[in-house]
Amino acid sequence: MVMSFFSKRESGLDHIVSQSVGMLGDARHSFDLATLALLTNTDTSAVDADIRETDERINHMEQQLRAELVVHVTVQGSSDIGSVLGMILLLKKIERIGDQATNVLDLAESGVRLSGEPDTEAMLAERGLISTMFGEAADLLGEPNAERTEDFATRVLALVAEHQAKIDGYLHSDRPGREVVPRAIYYRYLKRIVANLLGIVKTAADPLPAFSETDDKED
Amino acid sequence: MPTWLRSALVFGLIYTFLVGVSALEKGIKIMGEDTQEKLFSSVDNPIAGLCVGILGTVLVQSSSASTSIIVGLVATGGISVEAAIPMIMGANIGTTVTNTLVSLGHVRQSSEFKRAFAAATVHDFFNVMAVALLLPLELLTGVVSKTATWMSDRLVGTAGSEWKSPVKTWVKKPVEWIVDIWEAVGLNGNVLGTTVVLTGLVIVLLSLTFITKNMRELVADRVERSVNNVLGKGSGSIAMLLGLAITVAVQSSSITTSILIPLAAAGVLSLRNAYPVTLGANVGTTITALLAALAASVPEALTVGLAHTTFNVMGIALLYVPRFIRYVPVQLAEGLAEVAFRRPAWAVVYVMTAFIVLPLIGVGIFG
Repeated sequence: MVMSFFSKRESGLDHIVSQSVGMLGDARHSFDLATLALLTNTDTSAVDADIRETDERINHMEQQLRAELVVHVTVQGSSDIGSVLGMILLLKKIERIGDQATNVLDLAESGVRLSGEPDTEAMLAERGLISTMFGEAADLLGEPNAERTEDFATRVLALVAEHQAKIDGYLHSDRPGREVVPRAIYYRYLKRIVANLLGIVKTAADPLPAFSETDDKED
Repeated sequence: MPTWLRSALVFGLIYTFLVGVSALEKGIKIMGEDTQEKLFSSVDNPIAGLCVGILGTVLVQSSSASTSIIVGLVATGGISVEAAIPMIMGANIGTTVTNTLVSLGHVRQSSEFKRAFAAATVHDFFNVMAVALLLPLELLTGVVSKTATWMSDRLVGTAGSEWKSPVKTWVKKPVEWIVDIWEAVGLNGNVLGTTVVLTGLVIVLLSLTFITKNMRELVADRVERSVNNVLGKGSGSIAMLLGLAITVAVQSSSITTSILIPLAAAGVLSLRNAYPVTLGANVGTTITALLAALAASVPEALTVGLAHTTFNVMGIALLYVPRFIRYVPVQLAEGLAEVAFRRPAWAVVYVMTAFIVLPLIGVGIFG
């Protein structure tokens, strides 16, 4: 450990970004398992420990990286304070995704099962789509790219709007509560997860967006 | 600035620093023996020497600078090794004022201030305890000076002899230029000696300031990585070694310990994790006096540099290695922080009393 002073490893924000990518991979793992438990006949007890341990690991890593950001500012000064504040926000969003994946597991453990339903196939396909979005977000977190971020944002916003429309539909549906309530809750979690993925990508590309408007503009 | 250029600049600054130390020695030699005796007779008393060490270090805010100056003074023969050791011990106490002042910056956030003040004063308590233990022991047995003399005898020869330091030869010319310049403007005798000493002091202080600033830039990533390693997982000895490595690299224990204060204030670093880092910094900072001794021509200068290292290593051996006493400075610092947390004005009273009033009284009575 003392030799760490003399070694030439990545340090500072680069190290924190690469650890964040790892955290996002953990969040994806939790999401995949939790949605699998809800949408298929997977035994929830078989994935429970894995998901909760992964969530704890994400929470622990978030705290550790936040501490490293404090060290970074203390040692290096405030020259990249914008990126540091952005990273704190970004870590919080990854941590929330971990919590939301656990919420999906809680839904499955409460006895809700969405397997073998007419819309199960569509939901599984959507689950796969969102899972690949985790991979895209991790890529863009490691290597921000304005063009790809724009494309990602367009697709995420369309998906969020679609989720909101479904939630609204379930809230005003005449179908029995046991059918629509779990779906409305599930889509609300999905909507939050994809919105957080977009938040991560946007924060990586532009940690602290500047306000372009002034308060003295003419109406 | 590219790394290679900054590295070259640091080497140039180290050379300038050695020129400054040598100029200091030269200036005092120019003053003559009578003046030297008048100048240094006040520090013959060990308590007065200790207090002068504290005050001098508080004044320049750097034990590296004050101990280098002490090394320079010993090299002239004006101060004996025995008289210099209490001053070196005082420099150890005086250097802790910097991080205590940094901790006062957190005074508006009370819980942060409590943690920051405890992290700063743990260094004070350790150093005061080390002096309380080792100064009487040194006066009774000469344990620090004898150990340092034994080491320097083996490295460069016995006391009283002339040591042919290669560095001394490299810095000889620039020192002669400094003397020539002041002679050319008409100075001579004590005035010339004093001016050369002041020039040396300015060179030492400026070069050390810029060495620290540039080294901090050069090793910032490594420092960041090392501090991250200390966070919550490093053992005491590893934290101590990292504190030593960081301080040797930046040539300033104040930089190392001051980095710890905001981290302790934020709750990122616990007091028990910060404590061994400060002890490593205590040992690491002694490298500057050893470096300064390279520019001196007598073995006694190196003895004083080694005495600084010996004192700090012995302090750790006596106050950190035995488990029953290890956390006494931590408990004392927590107690004082609790008082300062309830009444922040006491923190200011503490700084003024410990670092200015008491040393001044000490010089007044024993000087």
